[in-house]
Amino acid sequence: MEFWSWVSRILEQYGSLILEGTGITVLLAIVGTAIGFAIGLLIGIYKTIPIKSSTPMPLKILYKIFNFLLSAYIELFRSTPMMVQAMVIFYGVAYAFGITLNRLIAGLFIISINTGAYMAEIVRGGIISVDKGQAEATHSIGMTHLQSMSYIILPQAIRNIMPAVGNQFIINIKDSCVLSVIGVSELFFVSKSAAGATFQFFPAFFIPCVIYFVLCFSITQILRYLERRMDGADTYTIYGTEPVINGADTLKRGDVK
Amino acid sequence: MDQKPVIQIQNLKKSFGQREVLKDINFDVHKGEVVCIIGSSGSGKSTLLRCINLLETPTAGAILYNGSNILSSGNTHKYCAKVGMVFQQFNLFNNLNVLENCVVGQVKVLKQNRKEAEERAKRYLEQVGMLQFINARPRQLSGGQKQRVAIARALAMEPDALLFDEPTSALDPEMVGEVLKVMKSLAESGLTMLVVTHEMGFARDISDRIVFMDGGIILEDGTPDEIFNHPKHERTKAFLTRAMDK
Repeated sequence: MEFWSWVSRILEQYGSLILEGTGITVLLAIVGTAIGFAIGLLIGIYKTIPIKSSTPMPLKILYKIFNFLLSAYIELFRSTPMMVQAMVIFYGVAYAFGITLNRLIAGLFIISINTGAYMAEIVRGGIISVDKGQAEATHSIGMTHLQSMSYIILPQAIRNIMPAVGNQFIINIKDSCVLSVIGVSELFFVSKSAAGATFQFFPAFFIPCVIYFVLCFSITQILRYLERRMDGADTYTIYGTEPVINGADTLKRGDVK
Repeated sequence: MDQKPVIQIQNLKKSFGQREVLKDINFDVHKGEVVCIIGSSGSGKSTLLRCINLLETPTAGAILYNGSNILSSGNTHKYCAKVGMVFQQFNLFNNLNVLENCVVGQVKVLKQNRKEAEERAKRYLEQVGMLQFINARPRQLSGGQKQRVAIARALAMEPDALLFDEPTSALDPEMVGEVLKVMKSLAESGLTMLVVTHEMGFARDISDRIVFMDGGIILEDGTPDEIFNHPKHERTKAFLTRAMDK
């Protein structure tokens, strides 16, 4: 019974700190996933710009150079651990410019660009997964690449990559704990403080364990719900009438007029 | 019909790597004309159509639209908006319902206001007999219904010419009729149409002109009567015999 009494004692003493840490963890995950997603979308759009033989040479070269830089960014961040990235960026800035970054802001920055590198590939995969005919159809009615992406391709790509984006979100909730190495006071960091102060490691880490699980599990459910909503209803109303047709199949081969 | 041509194709060539698919294509499409392109698979019919709509960039030659060469102009979006395309695989926008499919181009490309765009979309959807289904999503429709919506989508842009790339080839036989019926009524309404098709009966009945392609060139170009009843080339004869047998 000593275990539970330690748990409650730690909660009593460090409860508000743990709550704050949980808040920071959620903040890191949400901001990281959102900004990372935005980075991924921009890179995805850029990487799929059609380059024709009629494109002027300087533009082509410029495109290639920037494309190379983006690939370098993606490979660099996918091929090193976020923990190391955090150290290198945080202490690198201090070393090079003599500036000590705000730890939370540094943490948000690192998790965002790290996620962005993964998202770029996820988005690219999503765009590729959309039937080529969709892009051809947008072209045939005179849409520009940006219009085609915004109104037709990305909405479909985003639907297709929702499971992968959700995965990334969950990974961010858990992996934000590595940012404790630069002193971001997220859930793992505050738990470690509580453990260090009480020397009760098991109870002190049992608490964040439960919190992490609850966070991830509820987010999974929310994402599932969102996916279902994105799919829209399986039924539709016939124009000019009220009743809902259940199971579109009943109308599928129906003769019109 | 002897008006000036809407689209003029001059010395058009297209190669994919070493393979030359189109070798020096020349022909005009006049306003209000219905031209069917026939020929066996691999003769370059679809590639020609895709070149005209700039889905493929021609290797050489010129495409004149109302007299100006669009291959040398920087902005081709306006041209694409005015020369519509109906695809073999329909290519309806899967994330939009039927009405939105016919509205999005008008609003985003032609900068039409939404209310007018919806009115126009409904008018064309009614013309193809799909008005009832404006709330449906593409996945809830049959092939023939999808293709009719695709035609309405192209019409809603009020194009100067409409290109059809084997519009009935992906359809179940019993749905071919409903799409051909719509196309026939369009032809009769005076729309300029360029149709790649394997439907010989349709080509014979509604075309003003028929273009027979073989091996990347236009072998014969004439009225339905000339092509079907008095073909000049052996290859045309052979093709027609095979096609009519089916």
